[in-house]
Amino acid sequence: MKEVSRGSTNAEVLELIDGALGAIADTIEDGVFPEIGYYGSSKRNVNYKENQGYISVDECASFIDGRKVESAKTIAGLVYGLTQFKEHLEQGLSMSLRDFYYLHKVKHVQEVMKISDQSETNRMINLCERVIRQRGASIPREEFGVVSSPKGTFYGDLILSDMSGKRLNCNSAGEYGWFISSRPFDVDIHDINIDAAIFVEKEAMARNLIELGLPDTLRIGVGSLFGQPGRNMRAWIRRLADHEVPILVLVDMSPWSLRIFSTIKSNSIELANIQGLATPQARLIGLTTDDFWGRKGLLVDIEHSLEAMSTSDMKCAQQNRKIPSINQNPVLNRQNEAMLKKRRKGELEAFKSFGYPLSELKQLYIKYLKVKSNEHDVKLI
Amino acid sequence: MLTPKSYNSDITELSVSAWFYRNRTIAGFDNPARSLYVSIRELVENSLDACEDERTLPEVSVFLTSEDNETTDAFSTGPQIFGLVVKDNGKGMRKEDIPVLIGKMLTGTKFMLKQNRGTFGLGGSLALLYGQVTTQEPIEVVTGKQGEAFGHRIVMRLDIEANQPIILQEEMIRKAPHESGTMVSYKLQGDWIRSKKRIVDYFTQTAIIVPYATLIFETPDGNVLKYDRVIDSLPVSPKAMKPHPRGIDVELLKKMVSKTRTKNMKSFMNNSFQRIGKSIAQDFLAYSDIDPDRDPQTLSQNELVELMNAFESYSRFLPPSPKSLSPAGTEVLLAGVKRLSPEIVVFKQRSPNVYEGHPFIIETGIGYGGGLESGINIYRFANRIPLLYDEKSDVTYRVVRDLNLRNYGLRQEDPLAFVMHICSTKIPYKTVGKEYIGDVDIVRREIELGFKDCLREVGNNVRKRNRVHRQKKRESKLAEYYNFVAATLSSALKRSVTDSKLFGFDGGVSD
Repeated sequence: MKEVSRGSTNAEVLELIDGALGAIADTIEDGVFPEIGYYGSSKRNVNYKENQGYISVDECASFIDGRKVESAKTIAGLVYGLTQFKEHLEQGLSMSLRDFYYLHKVKHVQEVMKISDQSETNRMINLCERVIRQRGASIPREEFGVVSSPKGTFYGDLILSDMSGKRLNCNSAGEYGWFISSRPFDVDIHDINIDAAIFVEKEAMARNLIELGLPDTLRIGVGSLFGQPGRNMRAWIRRLADHEVPILVLVDMSPWSLRIFSTIKSNSIELANIQGLATPQARLIGLTTDDFWGRKGLLVDIEHSLEAMSTSDMKCAQQNRKIPSINQNPVLNRQNEAMLKKRRKGELEAFKSFGYPLSELKQLYIKYLKVKSNEHDVKLI
Repeated sequence: MLTPKSYNSDITELSVSAWFYRNRTIAGFDNPARSLYVSIRELVENSLDACEDERTLPEVSVFLTSEDNETTDAFSTGPQIFGLVVKDNGKGMRKEDIPVLIGKMLTGTKFMLKQNRGTFGLGGSLALLYGQVTTQEPIEVVTGKQGEAFGHRIVMRLDIEANQPIILQEEMIRKAPHESGTMVSYKLQGDWIRSKKRIVDYFTQTAIIVPYATLIFETPDGNVLKYDRVIDSLPVSPKAMKPHPRGIDVELLKKMVSKTRTKNMKSFMNNSFQRIGKSIAQDFLAYSDIDPDRDPQTLSQNELVELMNAFESYSRFLPPSPKSLSPAGTEVLLAGVKRLSPEIVVFKQRSPNVYEGHPFIIETGIGYGGGLESGINIYRFANRIPLLYDEKSDVTYRVVRDLNLRNYGLRQEDPLAFVMHICSTKIPYKTVGKEYIGDVDIVRREIELGFKDCLREVGNNVRKRNRVHRQKKRESKLAEYYNFVAATLSSALKRSVTDSKLFGFDGGVSD
């Protein structure tokens, strides 16, 4: 079993931070204004590859020139940020992005830095990720102890230990299953008894699948994305894929959902410097334009339930044409064009518009999932 | 007292002084407030002239005292009687000249073609006349010339009908030979409450344009305004000049012809006008078709008019000589404007130019920052007297209003003082009030160019100053950040980190 990025240990991160702080201190003591180089998120620094997603290529470096007033402020922010990470790591405490913002409200810090908006401190964290690198890759902020509010759940027969240190099975961790850790890199996976994992955009649909007992029937895991997945969810999906669990994604048929899928599959340009967030093996099983409009589409009967696309939906689809991970993927590109042409979108709730007796709904879901996963060479029992 | 002499029941004749008294509003004596201000101003200017004529650094003291002691509520009262004493260290007067110079109208030293302060040449006398009419009190003059062991004290009244002084009392007084000067004291009706601001403004601005004078003014409120001299050099004094052919009219030409002792036109042209030499005289006479050997006395009225027209159209006259002018000079102006304590001052003097046959020189200056109030302040001077009122009608205001300050890196709300001094043998006043200068193209242009010249320099200075300021600000900001960085690093790395080498000092935040 191959484990790609198990991240760095706290001790390693602390060493990196101390190294950076020490270098800045020595530069200043030598009477030289520090200059800090990093690779920004410009398009020149990011490449898209179908089988890898977005990857950073370190093409065009940016420099923070400490002789300039604005840059000196950035350096001051960087130094302060790193010292806070250091202290939190040493104390074994995590912080949220909001926490980090409030750390700048300490009086003597506020007087110098004059931060008035959280977006400034968020940018500072992003910069820290880019400046502190190990083996040619950025250290994700989670390793500094900075976590955003975790989002997403996972249900299924899978045994793991998370940051709490407790061993648990994801099929007995509450009605939604396990609440995805904010640091999936540091979760230990002990046993996997599922043949595939299905990640559903909407929480209601995922709950229905769990309520109907599909995880047991089909030997699958069911994850709920809660809309656009957070960093933790994307990292978790990647962890499962690294354990050779087939990843299936079930989302709305809309331009926005194409984006959701493409971030799972390919990561995003902004976070290309963070490794372990893309899952190129992920498969989009539905809802597809072919489901509604194809000759043998499974959902042809409920084609009438499709809704008209709003102006913002149309605009989103137009912009999708310019996103490499969508326009360079034949499947996604074709769907996007089909929607642009028909100007209609479908939602996961469409299953309810069949009007079957509820007892038949389970069979409908099973049929749909089996057929669709088969198309992607994933056999469900 | 003012009854005109009767010829018969219908026709009357006024004496000169009676006429002026009746029309005293022309010279500014229209109400008690303005009369008080004009009286002080006329007498102060006479005193300054008396000193400058002698090339003495002026010391002028003015004492204004209230004669009505019983009043308590100043606002409810109308005009009051004041005692006014004006004292200078000028050349003094000969005893026999006193009645003529002071007690008679339209006599004096100012009816020559040279720059002088006075506006009509009768202000001083009219001020005394006004005092006498409103209070019926006599006038006292004490004067003494340098090198004489005695001065004179004279008490007199003015006889308006006869335009003659009546001496009531006279005596010799002992004085030191080196002392000289004149002191005039009399009583007049005035309104201090309503003229206070004008009079104080007048002293403030006079102190700017005459920084080589010491001015003392004791107000009826008991306050003393004192401006000490800040520079010890006087401006070059003007010379009386013969008229320029472009600056005269037919009446003056007639008078010149009747008074000349020359026997032919060629020497008349040559001798009676400024800047006409033999060749220009000859050329001009050929141009205007007049026999050079003709006796000027024989010219007829029509021929004189034609001669005037020829003066107008002939193009080869040299411009009038600026020797009759006495510009303040940039040095004197710089010293004067120091009283406003600006941070940056620039003064420029334009070359002489000509307006209707009269030469004029424009001096412009701009002060910036320091003690100046924010916004644009305009100070106007004509022949070294301040112009205090009707600012918005003045050509200077219009020029300043139309300047685009942003071109020079300045803003409307910056603390700016615009100073304009025009000196000329004939100031282009617009109205009889003589408080503002008319919009004459050539004058306007000179003022505009002068201000623009100053603005360029002020703008550069301000830019330079701002650059230094910005640089300082940048350094202090950098120091602030690095001090913070050093302190943060010290506590995080648990070793002392200083940024002293970065700034070449011991780490403190510079201010």
